[in-house]
Amino acid sequence: MENLNFEATKYTPEIKLDATSGIISLVGKSYPENTFEFYKPMMEWLENYFEENAQDVTTVNMEIIYFNSSSSKLFFDFFDLLDEAKDDNTIKINWIYDEENESAEEAGEDFVEDFEDLDIELVTK
Amino acid sequence: MSDDRERRKAERAERREKERASTTNDRREEESNQEENKLVGEIDELKITFNMTIDKLAKDIKRQDKIMSRADKRQRKEYDELQDRLVEVTALQESQKKLMDSFIELIAGAIDAKSKYTGGHCIRVPELSMMLVKEASNSDEEPFKEFKLESEDELRELNIASLLHDCGKVTTPEYIVDKATKLETIYNRIHEVRTRFEVIHRDLTIEALEKKLAGEDVSTVDAWLEVEHKKLVEEYEILAIANVGGEYMKDESKEKIREIASRTWVRNFDDTLGLAHEEKQRVLLEKSETPAVEQLLSDKKRHIIEREYFDYEEYERFGFKTKVPENLYDLGELTNICISAGTLTYEDRFKIQEHVVMSIKMLEQLPFPENLKNVPLYAGSHHETLIGTGYPRQLSAEDMSIPARVMAIADVFEALTASDRPYKEPKTLSASVKILSFMAKDKHLDPDLFKLFLSSGIYKEYAKDRLKPEQIDEVDISQYL
Repeated sequence: MENLNFEATKYTPEIKLDATSGIISLVGKSYPENTFEFYKPMMEWLENYFEENAQDVTTVNMEIIYFNSSSSKLFFDFFDLLDEAKDDNTIKINWIYDEENESAEEAGEDFVEDFEDLDIELVTK
Repeated sequence: MSDDRERRKAERAERREKERASTTNDRREEESNQEENKLVGEIDELKITFNMTIDKLAKDIKRQDKIMSRADKRQRKEYDELQDRLVEVTALQESQKKLMDSFIELIAGAIDAKSKYTGGHCIRVPELSMMLVKEASNSDEEPFKEFKLESEDELRELNIASLLHDCGKVTTPEYIVDKATKLETIYNRIHEVRTRFEVIHRDLTIEALEKKLAGEDVSTVDAWLEVEHKKLVEEYEILAIANVGGEYMKDESKEKIREIASRTWVRNFDDTLGLAHEEKQRVLLEKSETPAVEQLLSDKKRHIIEREYFDYEEYERFGFKTKVPENLYDLGELTNICISAGTLTYEDRFKIQEHVVMSIKMLEQLPFPENLKNVPLYAGSHHETLIGTGYPRQLSAEDMSIPARVMAIADVFEALTASDRPYKEPKTLSASVKILSFMAKDKHLDPDLFKLFLSSGIYKEYAKDRLKPEQIDEVDISQYL
């Protein structure tokens, strides 16, 4: 399975989907013009990955410093996908944020609350 | 028997029939039961799916709510931050503006402080400019009907230009700006010339004594000496008066000066001693053996200070038109004492005028923001006229905006009325207005602005603030309107 990388832009984060190491990382800002369009390749890649290519342990590192509300919505969908995959896979999620970034902190808390069965760790920088 | 059999048969048949019927019924019942169970199962499944969908929907709605309220909260926070930042930036901008304004005033003050010649000129010209430009802007009369200069930025632009209009003067040598007599260089050379007169005076005395020693008639010699001394003193007085440059020097006066200058004295000392390198080089151009016979006043090669470097290309690029003298300075004694009007040579005059060139070059270098972009233009036009006779660009009426014309009037009027210049007596208000009127008539200043200056009473208002009581006299403005 091929890895998938997106460079960061002014409006979108850097995305690295590494099937070999099982490390998924999203770093940067997220307020694309069309959020669902932008993240579609990532979501498809993940479905494919968890269906047949997942590593023993999958680590998700998310460091989103700024995001719009449709990105929040997409992240919920993203966690839904992980939530479905968790029974057959070991998934570790790090939600990384600057301690002064209140929005990122609150979003992380929302995810923890909504996905009790997922292993989400809030990591301050 | 047979009946019994028949009956039994019939009974059996009936029983069988009954049994059969009962079995069918059972089966039917069973079948119906099975169907019911299936339906219930399907309904239950549907219920579960439905409940799951409802749950998911509810969850989604909850998430949606959460996302919205978080987004609202963040938006509020961001907006608050933006507002705070705006307040900060505005305050910062304000303080930077203040700093810039103070800096500009400091420069204007420094130019004023550098030379007694300018006094408080750079600080006072803006006052006059602002008064006059506001009046022109408020005027509904032609030609100012269409002219509006009201915004804070526009006024600030003119104020800054007025404050900095003479900034180039920091590069003008003080002894040129302050050159109050013709023979002045760094000091007034009249003292040196007077010493030569003293030498000649003694030479005459010695000559008289020698005559007496040689046996000439004592009383004849004394009479001769008295005449010669008197003549010499008179000649010095003529020269000294000429040095002040108070009045226009006619050709015959120049002739008289040349005649006086042709007197000789004997120099017994090496005049290349005690000089710094540069001057020594110049004096060595005409080294002479001592004793040397010297003219009382002369123009020598050593008096010419050559222009070492001048960027003519740049000069042209800036659009400067004033002719550049070949030499930087001419310190020639005869040349200087024979200056027709004022105290400045052609070279000195250019050096003075060059202050505008320098002002423009300096101001053009500053990255003025869009709202102050006219500062160099306004500041650089204060010595221009409406007929192409000004400097340094020899602009004409169409090139001169109203603010530039305003500054030109402010510049002249301040200079005329100033009472803080050591080289001249302060002029009265009426005399100053009169000179202004000549300049307006000659189109050196804008005649309409000059009239507005009078009719609005600005001249009076300014005089009350800035002139000495003894300068303020009655001005009959009707003759000028």
